[in-house]
Amino acid sequence: MENEALSNSDRRDFLVKLTSVVGGAGVAATCVPFVASMNPSSDVLAKAETEVDLTGIPPGGLRTVAWQGKPVFILRRTPDEIKEAQASNGGFDPQPDSQRVKNPEWLVVIGVCTHMGCVPNKEGPGWTCHCHGSQYDDSGRVTRGPAPKNLEVPPYHFVSENKIVIGKAA
Amino acid sequence: MKSKIINWIDQRFPLTSFVEHDLTGYPTPRNLSYWWNFGFLAGFVLVLQVVTGIFLAMHYKADVSLSFDSIQHIMRDVNYGWLLRYMHAMGASAFFFVIFVHMARTLYYGSYRAPRELLWWTGQGLLLLLMATAFMGYLLPWGQMSFWGATVITNLFRATPFFGDQVVIWLRGDFTVGDATLSRFFSLHYLFPFIIIGAVIVHLVALHTVKSSNPSGIDLAAKDNIPFHPYFTIKDLYGLGLFLMLYSVFVFFIPDSLIEPANNIPANPMMTPNHIVPEWYFLPFYAILRSVPNMVGGVVAMGVSVIIFAFMPYLDRSRIPGGARYRPIYRIQFYLFMADMLVLGFVGYYPPTNQSILIGQIATLCYFGSFILVPFISKVEERWLIKRGLPPEVMALIESEKHEKSNKGDKL
Amino acid sequence: MKKLMMILASCLIATSVMASEAELKTVKVGHDVQTLERGVDAVMTNCHSCHSLKYITYRDLVVAGVDAKKVDAWRGDQPLSAPLLSQMSAADAAQAFGIAPPDLSLMAKAREGGANYVYSYLLGYYTGPDGVTGNHYYPPTKMPDILGVSTAPQDQQAKIQDTAHDIVSFLSWASDPHADERIRLGYYVMAYLVVLTTLLYLVKKRVWSKLK
Repeated sequence: MENEALSNSDRRDFLVKLTSVVGGAGVAATCVPFVASMNPSSDVLAKAETEVDLTGIPPGGLRTVAWQGKPVFILRRTPDEIKEAQASNGGFDPQPDSQRVKNPEWLVVIGVCTHMGCVPNKEGPGWTCHCHGSQYDDSGRVTRGPAPKNLEVPPYHFVSENKIVIGKAA
Repeated sequence: MKSKIINWIDQRFPLTSFVEHDLTGYPTPRNLSYWWNFGFLAGFVLVLQVVTGIFLAMHYKADVSLSFDSIQHIMRDVNYGWLLRYMHAMGASAFFFVIFVHMARTLYYGSYRAPRELLWWTGQGLLLLLMATAFMGYLLPWGQMSFWGATVITNLFRATPFFGDQVVIWLRGDFTVGDATLSRFFSLHYLFPFIIIGAVIVHLVALHTVKSSNPSGIDLAAKDNIPFHPYFTIKDLYGLGLFLMLYSVFVFFIPDSLIEPANNIPANPMMTPNHIVPEWYFLPFYAILRSVPNMVGGVVAMGVSVIIFAFMPYLDRSRIPGGARYRPIYRIQFYLFMADMLVLGFVGYYPPTNQSILIGQIATLCYFGSFILVPFISKVEERWLIKRGLPPEVMALIESEKHEKSNKGDKL
Repeated sequence: MKKLMMILASCLIATSVMASEAELKTVKVGHDVQTLERGVDAVMTNCHSCHSLKYITYRDLVVAGVDAKKVDAWRGDQPLSAPLLSQMSAADAAQAFGIAPPDLSLMAKAREGGANYVYSYLLGYYTGPDGVTGNHYYPPTKMPDILGVSTAPQDQQAKIQDTAHDIVSFLSWASDPHADERIRLGYYVMAYLVVLTTLLYLVKKRVWSKLK
């Protein structure tokens, strides 16, 4: 009996190994749907892109829209505001205005203070965060601390003159 | 390194000895047939149900205004949500299928006989827990069948003496099945599986004390036992492969075959569907409920029909081991009982007509009758078989048992 | 023996119960995008003014391959994520018909007979001898004969049947949008399980062959 087992051992080992590998692959593949089910569902992903109709925002007007559950500021800047924004490079986190807009008339930034995540308020020119007093200019660039960075520009693109889609760059 | 760690653990916890004693080296009769695979399969389905259930609970909402929608959210929006839900829904049926076969095997081979009474009773407790869990889980999708099923079953408790109506309202937390009912059913549906796991451990401890029964019904000599691993690990895994094929056919190709169409309509407390039926695994018991023309009587009959299996160790008075294998009359009785269950299942499925009620009543009488007749038939059969002559090893066993008994009598 | 007779008897009852129900027409639902698009078109024209499909959004239609321009025309100024709610409120509909028209998202799964039932029902209208329109499959229906089955001349019946087929195909998709994916995955899973079980059988045979 022992000898018989020995003479067959090579083949048996291969068979057992093969079966273990195939079975293990099956267990691993079975994990995929379980892990995937915890990722955002399709209705949540649908919120990854938000379509915004820009008609009805007057020059100098601000509209706050929700994108992925976060507030996004859409500011229609007046020619004066554009001129002022283009004249400076901001404060702690210098960046030219041209890099922060697709169309100088429209500023689109995520309305979450880069310091501790509060939502800044529009006050006079720019925004002020009331949590810790950070200030941003009309290009969303930080002009007074403690915020370390400019307001983030979300990926967006113009689908027509008066319509943007936030969430996708092109 | 590996052995070092294991040594370290072994000095503090009996890991190796436990694994050797109860898993790898557990002595198992070598003559077990594939009918002995179903206990392992039940354990597998339990794990499957717990895992799919936990993931479903991440997306499910137990609120009458949201639960139906949340199921549709799972079916449509959640990544592979449809797979999780169908696995869980078909898993419930698979669980009962596996358990019923497991029980039928026990009945056929007489595995409930001494010394395995406690093993059989803990199994009975598991069946009751499983039924309760399945019943509460069925309310959660909040479809028409869910709602009316829960309404009918909670109403069974009106049969409680003196406090019937209060008990029903207490169970529901509302005057009808409502939000309070749904929330508590969800809570308990999540809890019960863990109680089941605990009860399974008790069931396994009992098993490992008395060891597995085997088709011959005779406790085998040590030389006829073989270690569980690798012989039964691989046999169980092969059986699992076959089981998974059948299960996958249901999950992937005909998942709606076991979901009543009416459960795709949101619960409406103002309108009962024309034809309400329980899930297939409750049908025979439901038929017994409907066969008794009196409300309390019907409820009692249904309860007894589930509990009555527990009396088998005492009802069966034959000393001949091996269940139906050496007992032709018992074998006929077993098959007739299975047929009777099928008839009851059919009767339970179809709306009551004069004809079906009559058939149901006859089948119900046969159901209880077969239990009541077991003591007489088994005794008469034993006498007849001993007279006719049995295999010598079976006779030897009967003799030795007689000896043991008389020895005990002497001591007393 | 007595019990065996009873099984036979119960089987006979089972078949007779089934036969007493009106025989459903069978339909083979289409799964291709063209059928789906024609179906949703027909639903938007014929059903959507009264019936909602609240579990289907306009985006679902686009994702399923329906022409985005058509979807834009249907949704008007509603966002893509809006569900296909009917133009008529449930209260108005209840006023007009005496009953709120049911949601159609799950209709192809919510009736005994499924898609066959919906198909038979849509084509089941007839004009009775008293000139009143009735339905063979659901006599108490409050829904008018929207496809005109009971009044259309013989040469248009085929076209109506095509429309009903498209509607049912779309409703089948709507009731179970992942069905095609599920069946495709099912074939892979079955193939895998056949391989795995064969291997397990071989290992089992080998392990047990050591026992003599």
